[in-house]
Amino acid sequence: MNVRIGELVFLQQLAGRYKIPTPDYIVEPVSQTEIKRKLQEWGSGIVKPDVLAGKRGKSGAVHKVSDYREAMQLLKKSAATEVGDQMPRTAYMVQAVPADLEIFSAFTYNSRTLGPSLTVSLKGGVDIESVPDSEKATVPVDVFRGLNAYQASEALSKLGLEGKLNSTVARCLVSQWDMFISTGMQTCEINPWRMTKNDKIFACDFKAIFDENNFKFKNIGFEIPEYPTREDAFDEEMRIWSASSHQGQAHVSSLGGKKILPILFGGGASTIITETLAQCGGDPMFLSDFGGNPPYERMKKTAAICFRHRLADASLLLILGGKANNTQIDVTFAAIADALEEWVGQNKQIKIPVVIGRGGPGLVQGFAVMKKTLENLNLPYVIFGPETPITLVAAYAAKLASLGDKKAKESGKS
Amino acid sequence: MRAKSLNDLLQKGDRVAVSNITGREASKVSVISQRYCGNIVAGWALGKAGQVVDVPGVGSIPVFGQFNEMMGTLPEGKKPNKIIVYSPPDAVYGDVKEALEHCMSCVETIYVITEHVSIEVTAKLRELANQANVDLIGCNTLGIINAHDRVRIGAVGGDTPDETFEKGSVCIMSNSGNMVNTIATYIKSAGLGISHGISTGKDALILTPIKDLLPLAMKDPRTQIVVMYVEPGGVYEEEAVAYLKSVKNPKPVLIYVSGKFAEGRSVSLGHAGAVVEGKNTSASAKMMMFDEYFGVPVFDPENPKRAMTALAGNKRGVRVNALHDLVSAASAVIEACGIGTDFPRTKAIEVKPWFVDFGALERKLPGELLLHPAEPGTIPEPYGALVERFIKTGIGRIPTRQTMRNTSHASSNDGVTPRIYGYSVMNLMKKGKGSFAESVLLYWLGHPPKQEFEITLFEMCLVASLTNGPGTISSQAPKLSASAGNAPNTAMIATLAAIGTVHGGNGQEAARMLVDVFGKSGMVDPYDKGKVPNLEGIVKEFIKKFKANKNAAKDAGLEYEKVPCLGHPVFNKDPVNYDPRERVISAYLQEKGIYNVFLDFYHQVTTGMTAAGVTNKVHAVNVDAALTCILMGIAWPLLVDKKITVERAVDLPFLAFALGRSAGGAGEYLDHRESGTDMDMRVPVKECVFLGRAQD
Repeated sequence: MNVRIGELVFLQQLAGRYKIPTPDYIVEPVSQTEIKRKLQEWGSGIVKPDVLAGKRGKSGAVHKVSDYREAMQLLKKSAATEVGDQMPRTAYMVQAVPADLEIFSAFTYNSRTLGPSLTVSLKGGVDIESVPDSEKATVPVDVFRGLNAYQASEALSKLGLEGKLNSTVARCLVSQWDMFISTGMQTCEINPWRMTKNDKIFACDFKAIFDENNFKFKNIGFEIPEYPTREDAFDEEMRIWSASSHQGQAHVSSLGGKKILPILFGGGASTIITETLAQCGGDPMFLSDFGGNPPYERMKKTAAICFRHRLADASLLLILGGKANNTQIDVTFAAIADALEEWVGQNKQIKIPVVIGRGGPGLVQGFAVMKKTLENLNLPYVIFGPETPITLVAAYAAKLASLGDKKAKESGKS
Repeated sequence: MRAKSLNDLLQKGDRVAVSNITGREASKVSVISQRYCGNIVAGWALGKAGQVVDVPGVGSIPVFGQFNEMMGTLPEGKKPNKIIVYSPPDAVYGDVKEALEHCMSCVETIYVITEHVSIEVTAKLRELANQANVDLIGCNTLGIINAHDRVRIGAVGGDTPDETFEKGSVCIMSNSGNMVNTIATYIKSAGLGISHGISTGKDALILTPIKDLLPLAMKDPRTQIVVMYVEPGGVYEEEAVAYLKSVKNPKPVLIYVSGKFAEGRSVSLGHAGAVVEGKNTSASAKMMMFDEYFGVPVFDPENPKRAMTALAGNKRGVRVNALHDLVSAASAVIEACGIGTDFPRTKAIEVKPWFVDFGALERKLPGELLLHPAEPGTIPEPYGALVERFIKTGIGRIPTRQTMRNTSHASSNDGVTPRIYGYSVMNLMKKGKGSFAESVLLYWLGHPPKQEFEITLFEMCLVASLTNGPGTISSQAPKLSASAGNAPNTAMIATLAAIGTVHGGNGQEAARMLVDVFGKSGMVDPYDKGKVPNLEGIVKEFIKKFKANKNAAKDAGLEYEKVPCLGHPVFNKDPVNYDPRERVISAYLQEKGIYNVFLDFYHQVTTGMTAAGVTNKVHAVNVDAALTCILMGIAWPLLVDKKITVERAVDLPFLAFALGRSAGGAGEYLDHRESGTDMDMRVPVKECVFLGRAQD
């Protein structure tokens, strides 16, 4: 998962560093006196939650205020109110900037040009998807040379922005590019830039996604704040475990399912298996990818985390992947088998069926270990070789889980 | 693109250089690739100059420290035209740049296998490659295979590319490397082989996307059908459809689009490429685009004829909803388009398990979910033979391998308590009598001995191994060492150096023989005489086989293979031969009423061989045999439970002898050091006999 930030981090950490003009702001918790002083100075302010959810305005989370009592109330309320299923980190109030012109600008890597590009529109302040193509301009940016003011100015001219305004905005776009490329961002959007009547410009909302693989992000120089998430202990533990090493994948994304605990291998395979499980009513608990030839200890802990958090609630354990190219099946299966044995030893006997399908180096040795363990644990099992398509195995597992959901748990093997 | 044909991406005669070739994945894949097609000319890895990657049976791949050095050293005809990059993410940019700068004239294509390359670096690589007019596949590609030329780059096809890729008329293009293999396997059952299998890579920026590859496939004479696997993210498919629409009579396309389940959720798919940007980049949008291009609805496996009728109209292809539908969809496409199969269709793909044990659940399953294990001989090779070897027969755990540099199952120390397989050394020390023998067994087997008498028997083995008198070579050795003025450790090393397969180590052979004889017998408890399966028959069969082998060897004028640990020369002249040390062990067993099937087997074989006239000697079961029987008795239940490997079990007798004898050697050293004179073991010159003839 790449790291996202919103406007407040931009205001606190980035805007000053890259000389991007922004309105003044205060952050909750803030004293009544301070709010009063700021509102007297600004005239009015905008209260916003610091939350990683889009369309805050549309969901009614953004409020214009001029009364300090109302501002105080709204700051407290906004900091504690979910927006689009996300809980805010805090709330803040920015100076309201009256403007005639709102501009959208975004840098992103473009799959059409296979490099960075700038998209700009003079119809900012709204969802950019709703702006017709004729009113926005996308220009590729040379990843080595970067964006220069001339190029930015030309893009703005195409949209009809000329004169002093053009050069003011162009300079800001160059600053935005500098920030984008110097911090290892993957996308960076300012929507809107607001132009005042006296030709001053302010970046009035912001969102960005960092590329975690970029060394510039790794050395960004400030702590990315943690936002409250809806992730449970399992998601959190897996996220930390996944990030702890690049040896073998440990990707998990919760899907909220209740039936199948899927230990899946391979990016492509895990996607199509999950797709099939979902289509066939398998109700998978999460999407997982544990390929990439994890060493024994890595795989064992990955499996142990999955079992600790999810196995007791599962009605079927699915261990499935395509024909591996590099992953040693004997090592990964020995690790999973040992983790399973340990979980049962420390917790309770389970009675759910286990469906396995795999191919690759050390396959039969891996199956031997797994089969022995399942027999020791008295668990019902079906093991498929690589000639049975993974999607057929997934479809079968989905049916078995649906049917055996209750029955299997009750009867088990013995 | 620089490539004008699929063959330009990879063909026979191409020369491949591998970056970071000594890395874990690169070296493993390179060895398999070299065995498959031998197209790797060299590799380079920083600080590894002069090393080689050994490819047993084929030769070795030279490793250079730097790219420059490699290019300067390789002769003209060996300079690479394809580069495969396995460098760590942070080194990818530098390695590709170096390759492009120093080898612009010869490099045509670079495959970047590395994962986790930043998107900025990926964009920069694209610029560099464009300027150099070099095609760059990736990043995060698995590679490519050209099945007609039987060559590959990267790990496409895994360990056994021949098993999956038969030459044929389907070109696979896939975001996922694994799906290249999977699709090739599926398509095979439709009677279709592969022209090229290409993993495009799966990062957000796919530097050689399908819109660039499709024109190559359209004019490739070997390719008749294109099969694609795509995921959400990017406008690659939008561009591909636009291209297909622009072509007159395009070749038919089969496509599977995955990732629909993730729509509307904050789910990161396995591939970084699955970032949705814009309206045509979601899985649903891609499905709609292709359905609209094909002009036929998604393939319905229940009604392939309808698809065929629809396909006969425009012959553009069809989308499938499930990957396994590719088989019937491919059959429908080739029929509708008048394309022949590449080879006879194999059996239809179906749910065919290898192993099934539902237990009580079986009674509750409806017919369609009730599966049965594979019938003997129906598991495809090479797996069938392996199943026979590892699962259906035999004993012992299957070893799993990993790097053990800083890890140990056997011991640990948390800074407070040293432990052996989790048992505190201090607690073991407190056990008193027999604690050393018990702890050694724990250390050697990973499990404490189950029976009290096993500790006593093991101690007996150690005592018996201490000495067989000062004349044995393993006792002479420490005396020699002491005579030369060596330190105690050297004397013990000398003792150990003077034992080997014919002195002390024969127990290893004996153990292996016992595993061969009893491994498939189904015997669980070697101490339970009542449950030993037909020992008399086993002995008879063994003697019969021994006799046949002995006669065959004699007929051929060869030395025959003897039964290990029998016929010890010291006791061979007695009418009934016993090794007195073995007698002590047997007497203890008898006194305690303990049965040991292995010792019984040995006794029966000794008498049986004489009775059957296989030998005219009266053999004795020597102490090595007794020691082996004791240790195999202890190890057997662990072998049956697959808790230890056979290799571990067969090493035990030799180790026990070595342990006892090295203590005995220490005794000889102490005695000799104390009472002997320096150099007293020297043989005077006059006693030494020269068996040759003086030459000058």
